[in-house]
Amino acid sequence: MRASDLKPIVALTAMLAALPLAVRMNNYYVLLLTWILYYSTLVTAWNVIGGLAGQLDLAAASYIGLGAYTMGTLLTRLDVTPWVGIPLGGLVAAGFAALVGYPTFRFGLKEAWYALATISSVVVLQKLFLVWEGVGGPEERYLPARYGELYYLRFRGYAPYYYILLAVLVMVLLLNVKIRRSKTGYYLLAIRENEEAAEILGIDVRKYKLRALLIYAFVTGCIGGIFALISGYLHPHHFDTWTSLQVAILGIVGGAGVGSIYSLPATTFIIYSISELLRSTLGGWIPGIHLIFYGVILTVVVLLKPEGLSETYERLYGRIRAALLRRRAGGG
Amino acid sequence: MLELLLQNLVNGILMGCVYALVALGLALQFGVMDIINFAHGEFVMIAMYLVFWISLYLAIPGSLTSLIVAPIYFVFGLVVYKLVIDRIVGTYPLAQIAATIGLMVLLRNLALAAWRAQPRGLQYEVLRGSVTLGPVVVPISRLTAALVSVGTMLALHWFLTHTRLGLALRATSDDMQAASLLGINVRRMFALAFGLGCAIIGIAAAFIMTFQQVNPESGLTWGLISWIIVVMAGLGGVSGVLLSGLILGMVEALEITFWDPRASLAVMYSLFILILWVKPRGLFGRR
Repeated sequence: MRASDLKPIVALTAMLAALPLAVRMNNYYVLLLTWILYYSTLVTAWNVIGGLAGQLDLAAASYIGLGAYTMGTLLTRLDVTPWVGIPLGGLVAAGFAALVGYPTFRFGLKEAWYALATISSVVVLQKLFLVWEGVGGPEERYLPARYGELYYLRFRGYAPYYYILLAVLVMVLLLNVKIRRSKTGYYLLAIRENEEAAEILGIDVRKYKLRALLIYAFVTGCIGGIFALISGYLHPHHFDTWTSLQVAILGIVGGAGVGSIYSLPATTFIIYSISELLRSTLGGWIPGIHLIFYGVILTVVVLLKPEGLSETYERLYGRIRAALLRRRAGGG
Repeated sequence: MLELLLQNLVNGILMGCVYALVALGLALQFGVMDIINFAHGEFVMIAMYLVFWISLYLAIPGSLTSLIVAPIYFVFGLVVYKLVIDRIVGTYPLAQIAATIGLMVLLRNLALAAWRAQPRGLQYEVLRGSVTLGPVVVPISRLTAALVSVGTMLALHWFLTHTRLGLALRATSDDMQAASLLGINVRRMFALAFGLGCAIIGIAAAFIMTFQQVNPESGLTWGLISWIIVVMAGLGGVSGVLLSGLILGMVEALEITFWDPRASLAVMYSLFILILWVKPRGLFGRR
């Protein structure tokens, strides 16, 4: 990793760390920012499989649910601290990913079939947890309300979770940069561009796709554990196909794998803010308007700009910079 | 137990026919133009709402609305084809998946906006009651739906094998370039296939509504069921789709009899993933 890679991460972290203070810790805005960070971390993790490896994975909700149930069950039954439960949840998620992913790559499922198999896994797990009364079941299982204790990681406000997610986001961004610069990263990009060609060049396609999947599943499982802490309960509806779709939509619109990795949190920030604005203003008359927006933006972006918005941001940034520099030059 | 099994199996076979009809619309579109339509289930869901409203406002039985909904849906299919599908046919698959996922999210939430989350069922329907055959009770509505499904499939099969237009469709499906060289307007065939696929959905939706309710979420289930059948059938014509539908219906029946009805989707999708792994070309595919 180079120093130039760290600079934008440091700048972004500083900016995001100051945001809750900028809204004066207003509960509503902090909650909104927490969800934005939550989806940002998910999309950034998704970039490993969806962007670098180019596999349209729709199993994010499977890993979130598994992470949530692992952490939550350990916490409520055995009083195991989330500090241990969260990474264990990541491991369970990665284990499940290996279980489904190995044969999926072994039998060469690609494109639509991969997407269908992964979204099916979400529904399968949701129904299995609904029937499995010992752990899941149709009733919510609440996490212990031991607020303010570091051992339980439960807090009354959302600000602590915001900073936890910020730390995770930084780690996932660093992970992405590191992978992108490694041999694995170059191999994955080769697979993304042309799988057959990559295979002929001697890349073990299956191995590297599986590696990308496992990394992504582990991170997403950990985020799932944090999600359960924020929502405060466990329920089979945490295996939510819409979460999977949302992550993929944000990834595609953000141009995962094409441009800069920072395009993904930026896209999440923009789209989530607009959709929340729509929900809070028009949601009373038109329920689901904020979700309609997701559908519209995805279809429009894919039809008009199939490579996503990352390049648009860069051009915009370049233009703003040039204008500022010109003004400074003119003023001085 | 045996009676329950028998009853569930009969239900499963009847449902299987309906599943097959819904999947046939998708199979036609996928077979002819290789398009990956994730919004298929949402098309079914919107058609079901259409049936509900037409039946309510014109005060006609839901089953009769198929005569109105099918042509409306044919036109709807052409419009969707022109607006979205035409631009993504033949482009790289991820763009197709993404664009139709966008369509799916859009339609699902438009339905939510228009009709809220509350389930809707027909107010008035002539297909009521049931016939008793020994230990098995067969609801008239399901029986009719199954018969209409099989009838529609036979009609489509005849169309594909005995008319010039049908043959042109199949030629396009087999080899797009060769068909184009022989003077078949491929784009028009695509539009026709998409419209026909949607019209079939319209017919199916009308008869599904006679025994089921609709809510904005029901699209997901119908979409995944259709995909299971299309994958199981492979690209092998109408009979493969029907057989796959029947298999799926019976698997569901067995699951309901011997395990928990709430887990039936889990079993069906596990089967789906399994088939994707071991027989990606389907059980009845010819290529």
